[in-house]
Amino acid sequence: MLRQIYDQSSRMRRMSVFPQHGAALGHLGLSANEIRQEVENNTSELVSDLVNQSARARFQAIRSLPMPFSERKIIRNRVNSVKQSKTIIPTNCGQQVSRSFRRFRAGLASARQYLIIWHDTLKDIGGRFGTSVLSYFLFLKWLLKFNLFSLIINFCFITIPQIVHAPNISSVTGFRGLELLTGVGYFNQTVLYYGGYNGEVIVSKPGYNMQLAYFFTIAAYLVLCGVSLIYSMSRSFQKNFVLDTGPVSGGAWRLLCSWDFSVVNEKAIQYNKNNLAIQLKESLSERLQEKNKMDLSDRIKHLSLNVLAWLLSLGLAVGCSAGIYFLGTDPELAFSFNHSPNDLTAEASTLLLPVVVSIINLIVPILYSLISKIESYSNPRAKIYISIVRNVILKMSILGILCFYWLDFVPNSVSCWESFVGQSVYRLLIFDFIFCLIGIFYGEFLLNVIGTRCIQSLGVPEFDIARNVLDLIYAQTLAWIGIYFSPLLPVMQVLKLFIIFYLKKISLSMNCQPPKHSGRAAQIQTVFIALLFFPSFVGALSMVAFTVWSLKPSSECGPFQGLDTPFHTIFSWTASIQGPSETNWVWWIFENILRSELFYYLISLIILVITYFLWQITEGRKQLINTLRQQIVNDYDQTPHFNPNWMNTLPLDM
Amino acid sequence: MDLFAQKKIQSTEPILIPHGELTFLTKQEILLAHKIFSELQGRENGPYSARVTMEKILTLPELKSNPFRKRICHVFSTSDMKDGSLSFEDFLDLLSAFSDSATLEIKSHYAFRIFDFDDDGTLDSRDLEKLVNCLTGETDDTRLTAEEMRQLISNILEESDIDKDGTVNLSEFQHVISRSPDFVR
Repeated sequence: MLRQIYDQSSRMRRMSVFPQHGAALGHLGLSANEIRQEVENNTSELVSDLVNQSARARFQAIRSLPMPFSERKIIRNRVNSVKQSKTIIPTNCGQQVSRSFRRFRAGLASARQYLIIWHDTLKDIGGRFGTSVLSYFLFLKWLLKFNLFSLIINFCFITIPQIVHAPNISSVTGFRGLELLTGVGYFNQTVLYYGGYNGEVIVSKPGYNMQLAYFFTIAAYLVLCGVSLIYSMSRSFQKNFVLDTGPVSGGAWRLLCSWDFSVVNEKAIQYNKNNLAIQLKESLSERLQEKNKMDLSDRIKHLSLNVLAWLLSLGLAVGCSAGIYFLGTDPELAFSFNHSPNDLTAEASTLLLPVVVSIINLIVPILYSLISKIESYSNPRAKIYISIVRNVILKMSILGILCFYWLDFVPNSVSCWESFVGQSVYRLLIFDFIFCLIGIFYGEFLLNVIGTRCIQSLGVPEFDIARNVLDLIYAQTLAWIGIYFSPLLPVMQVLKLFIIFYLKKISLSMNCQPPKHSGRAAQIQTVFIALLFFPSFVGALSMVAFTVWSLKPSSECGPFQGLDTPFHTIFSWTASIQGPSETNWVWWIFENILRSELFYYLISLIILVITYFLWQITEGRKQLINTLRQQIVNDYDQTPHFNPNWMNTLPLDM
Repeated sequence: MDLFAQKKIQSTEPILIPHGELTFLTKQEILLAHKIFSELQGRENGPYSARVTMEKILTLPELKSNPFRKRICHVFSTSDMKDGSLSFEDFLDLLSAFSDSATLEIKSHYAFRIFDFDDDGTLDSRDLEKLVNCLTGETDDTRLTAEEMRQLISNILEESDIDKDGTVNLSEFQHVISRSPDFVR
């Protein structure tokens, strides 16, 4: 089957290189009749190939023929007439079913345009700013899908049963406006937080065990997220990091592939042209510079500057984390609210920590970009990657210290500590949103005004994709951490993402210009998805797993009161199904396979062996590619060629 | 490039349905294309075999500023007079090749033909030079000097010319495209 596709595509390519204008063939000395005969042979081979394929493959193949419309119509008519003459027993039923299925699929494809949200808006953004800016908005839309899904399943499986069967909204205080910012007060005992749920078995026709429901819903959501992330990451990696054999870095891809045909705005096209010229010149000068080796003293100087910059950045990150930890553990500032729930100033004092965290997230990246100005890199792409790595280290160290504080210090200081953690996450997310709005207003709007009116040399601000995407990843990490402690947190995240989408779009059109170094957008996209998986999702998952596995839940509130760890619900459930023989196999699988270490050891061993085999296959293929390249060059050198400029090679005195 | 972003359609044309099987466009996109084409022709429901001149096609807002607009018209035109005029079927071919669902092979095939300024089936150094000038703009500070141009073209040929014949043919072009995931529409 693969062979057939190979033959067919090579035949089609041959047909397409016979251009209708017939310019190249004149040199080959074939007469017009011979050319016509050759074309006719190719056509009949193509038709016979197409007849033998299934209907769906045939449609796709005809569509993909690189020929003008009229010739495709001719081929299709010939194929249809051959097919009709061939069918002896009409298979009406199968054909009709496949035909109606095809029409249904075509109808779905055209209906998709109306069902996908923001379809028109995204096309508009892509047309004016190019694909790399569009990738930010697509990332945002993807995160929105995750949060919507989580919201729906949490609401259906956990919140609705709790509301319907055991409402226990006992508000200590009435609703004041401050709750929206701090998340405590009126919201404290509602189903927004962990503390609002209790773990009884709801008595209904099939008994609904709230503990198991809570546990399994959150576990299922996190597992599905993980699977989806791994799938996207591997697809993206496969597309964007293909085998790099042969000389790759250089201008070819930039010239031949990077022209963005989706941009239609005239000013944007002019802008892209200028950018491309600048990039081509830069890459040329880079290549020249590589040939000039730097002498030793210059290299030492550059290296020491790099080391200094790294030390400064890491020092800043560690310093900020320590500061946050001390702020959090200061008993007067952080916990005064729990001692006097009605005091307004005590409630407002809980806002101090989120404000400090958000200010750090705003200012320190600016400091990092100032620090990176003292360094010089040979490769502008290395500069972007290093700044991304530093910002990720900063954000992850802040989140890490917060997680440590929540899991280590808080359970011993506060009763109903899970609700406290949920409230902290809520406050962090709200303030992240508020500072994002401030960033849009001051960062982009004011900078635009300053750049165009006051200090002309600054120019219009660029849309910094890396910083914006890292902010999204940070917020999503917080949301994933907070799911266990506050099941309805995705509501806020969904609203937030919706509002940010529209605000960023408006700010983009009014204030910003697309980034100058927009090459290799696809690789950066893969890096972002990988960052969303590795520190972000894995960190959140490990934190929730640690909480579920090892920490003692608080004894006064929540669905897991009274247990040693939340995981003990699974033990009691499996013990309860051990008895009846029809469910005994579930218990057996759980007890003897999932809980034994030998199983995991064997699986790891098998995966390692398979990975080694696949790696060897890849190495073999690389060698094969090199051999084939050499063979192509040898073939060309050996066959005699007609040189259209043969008259220039005659000696001059003839 | 997408003409369908903000427009809505009103008319129905049952004659156009079979066209959906031969292109990558959906039924609604074909109807919309028919409407646009009729407007360009200057009269409603004109005959399908009539051709629209290149000047009229270039008034479309999506093509007006495209640096390759004339090459696009020449490549998709099947007229005998080689004047770049497009019939309705040529217009559908154009839209189909640029649509989101077209295969990579179709897009790279047409991109190759658009870049092949002298229509000889290969990209030699003259074609590459015209391509660079087309893409980098006309002002003095963005135009490449002769030395830079020579260097750039030799870099490109060194990377993409596998059989070392001094030109880039269709297979080599498609090889470069397949290795670079940034090839967009």
